[in-house]
Amino acid sequence: MHGSQFQGRLFGPGLPGAGIAASGQWDALGRLRVTPHESGQAERCADRPEIAAAGFNNASLRLSWQQPEGAYALVVDGVDDRSRCAATAPEHCNRQLAAAVRQPDTLERRFRLGWGLLALVLLMPLLGLVLFLLNADRVADWVVDKIPVAQEARLGELVLAQTRLQMKLIDRGPAVEALADIGGRLTEGSVHRYRWFVAERPEVNAFAAPGGVVVVFSGLLTSAATAEELAGVLAHEVAHAELRHSLRGMVKGLGLRALVALLAGDISDNVLTGAATRLTELRFSRDAEREADANGLQRLVAARISPHGMVRFYERLAAEQRPTPPALLSTHPASGERLDWLRREVAALKGPWQPLPINLQRATVSLR
Amino acid sequence: MAMDLIDYTIVGSEMQFVEVELDPGEAAIGEAGAMMYMQDGIQMDTVFGDGSQQASGLMGKLLGAGKRLLTGESLFTTVFHNEGQGKRRVAFAAPYPGKIIPVDLGQIGGTLICQKDSFLCAAKGVSLGIAFQKKLGAGLFGGEGFIMQRLDGDGMTFVHAGGTLQEQVLAPGETLRVDTGCVVAFQPSVDFDIQFVGKIKSAIFGGEGLFFATLRGPGKIWLQSLPLSRLANRIIMSAPAAGGRSTDQGSLLGAGILGGILGSDD
Repeated sequence: MHGSQFQGRLFGPGLPGAGIAASGQWDALGRLRVTPHESGQAERCADRPEIAAAGFNNASLRLSWQQPEGAYALVVDGVDDRSRCAATAPEHCNRQLAAAVRQPDTLERRFRLGWGLLALVLLMPLLGLVLFLLNADRVADWVVDKIPVAQEARLGELVLAQTRLQMKLIDRGPAVEALADIGGRLTEGSVHRYRWFVAERPEVNAFAAPGGVVVVFSGLLTSAATAEELAGVLAHEVAHAELRHSLRGMVKGLGLRALVALLAGDISDNVLTGAATRLTELRFSRDAEREADANGLQRLVAARISPHGMVRFYERLAAEQRPTPPALLSTHPASGERLDWLRREVAALKGPWQPLPINLQRATVSLR
Repeated sequence: MAMDLIDYTIVGSEMQFVEVELDPGEAAIGEAGAMMYMQDGIQMDTVFGDGSQQASGLMGKLLGAGKRLLTGESLFTTVFHNEGQGKRRVAFAAPYPGKIIPVDLGQIGGTLICQKDSFLCAAKGVSLGIAFQKKLGAGLFGGEGFIMQRLDGDGMTFVHAGGTLQEQVLAPGETLRVDTGCVVAFQPSVDFDIQFVGKIKSAIFGGEGLFFATLRGPGKIWLQSLPLSRLANRIIMSAPAAGGRSTDQGSLLGAGILGGILGSDD
C-alpha cells in the first residue's frame, strides 16, 4: 500500500442514489481501492478506472469502472482530494488525469472569454465615443466633405428661421447694402449665394451660418469707425462660412449625440432643429479662429482692402475697458497671441490698398 | 458547523406549505416573505445576508447580500428562533402552485446546486451561495441561466418549484435529456450540459427549442414538470384582458433565445 487517501462519493448499483461517502486509494499494483465510510459496506476495487472531468462546471474527477453487477463511479470534488488523487495515481492513468485536471481551467478560460466578448459588445458605443472624441476633427472633416452645397444652403435657411425667432433681422436698407457691397468683394467666386442681415442687437458680434448667411449685430456696425474695420470682421466671418466651420461643429455635435443616444437611449427630441438651435450659439475652437483669421486676411488682400482696419478694430475692442468683454471677443477670443500674429502678418503685407467707396457713418445712421 | 435538526410536515397537494417544528433554541431560516404562520414563542429576526455566518464583518455581509440579489432573492433573510419552552411550529408557504421537496444536505454530500429563486427555507446553518454556470452553452441555452444557487451545509433544506416535482437517480454514466427549464436541482456530481435537438426541422417546428438540457450521472436530480414561466405564459395566452398573443416558450419562432441569457428563471 502506498499513497494517501482521498475523499469522494461512491455511486453504484445497490448504493443509495445520492451516493455514499468513501475514501479512495491507489494500491501498489496501480489499482483503485475504495473504502466506504459506512460500516457494513464492502470495499471495492477497480483495475483500470476510467478518469474524466465531471460534475457541475467539470469541477470534479470521476473515476468510473464496471463490475459484474453494474457501473460504479467515485466522484472526487475537493481541491486537495483531487490533487492527492492525481499525485498518487499510477502511470497508466496519467494521460486521462492530465486531461481531466485541465478541463475546469479550459472551462474557466472560455467562460471569461465569453463574458469578455459580451462586455466588449456592450461597451462598443462607449469605445466608439472615445474614438470619436479622439478623432472628432478628422471624422468631421471627412463627413463635411460629403455634404453638398445645396444641403448646406438648406441648413442655412433653418438657422436663419431660428435666428428670426430670437432677434429682429433687417434685410434691406443702407446698412445691409453696405454689408453686401463689402461682402461681395470678399466672397468673389464663392459657390455660396451670400445673404447679409443686420440684427438689431447692441452686442458687438457677428456670425456666419452655413450656406452663406451672415448676420452682423447693429452694435458692431456702430462701433466700427471705418468701412475697412467692418471689412476685417466680415472677412473673418466669411472665412468661417467658406471653411465650413459651423458645419463641422454641427457634424461633431450630431455624431456625439448619435453616440450618446446609442449609449443612453434616445434622449434627443428633434435632432436637426436641436442642432440648428445650437448652431446659432456655436463656439468655434481656437484653431478654427486662427484659421478664419488667416483665410480672412487672404480675402482682404485679394480684394485689395486694407487689412489695417482689421487690426485696428481688434485692437480697439481689446483695449476698451468694459465690465463685460464684447461679445465678438467672448465668442471669438482675440487673445493677445492672435492679435500679435495678425499684427506681424499685416506688417509684412505691402499695399497699395484701394479705399472702400463706402461711408459707414452715413450707412449706419439709422441704427444709431 | 452544527446544524439544527428539524422535524417537518409538508401540507397540501398542489399548493403546499411546509410546517417546521423547532425544539427550544432551534432556528430555521426562511426566504423573506415565505412565512405563513408561527406559534407563540417563536422570535422572528431579519438579518442582512443569509444568516449563516454571523460574525464576518460588514464586507462579508454585503457580499452575501449581493449574491442573494444576483440569485433573485431579497437582500434579507429571516431567522425564526424558538425562544419558548416547548416545541413550536412555523410554516413557510410556496409562492405558486408546485411542490416543496425536502432535501437532507447531509445525505447527499453537503451541497446542492439548484435553480435560482427556488430556495424556500432551511435549518439554520445552511449557507446560501451562488454557483456560476461556467459552461457557456449550458448557461445560454440550458434554461437555467448563468446563475444558480448553491446550498451548503448538512441540514434539511426545502426547495420549491412548479408543477410536480420528481426526484430521480442517475446511475454512473446514465444520461437524461430534459426540456430546458425543467431542471430544479442536482447533486454537484451530476454533469449539466446541453445537446442540440438533432434536426433543424425539430429545432424550428418541434416546439422543444434548439437544445435539450442533458444530465449525466451519477447522482440525484430533481425535475419540475411545469416551470412557472410556462404556466404564466399559458395564463396570459388565455387572458383576454392581457391581449394574450403569445406562444409557448421553447420555440425558436416564439419566445426569444435571449431570455435565458438575461436570466429568466424558466
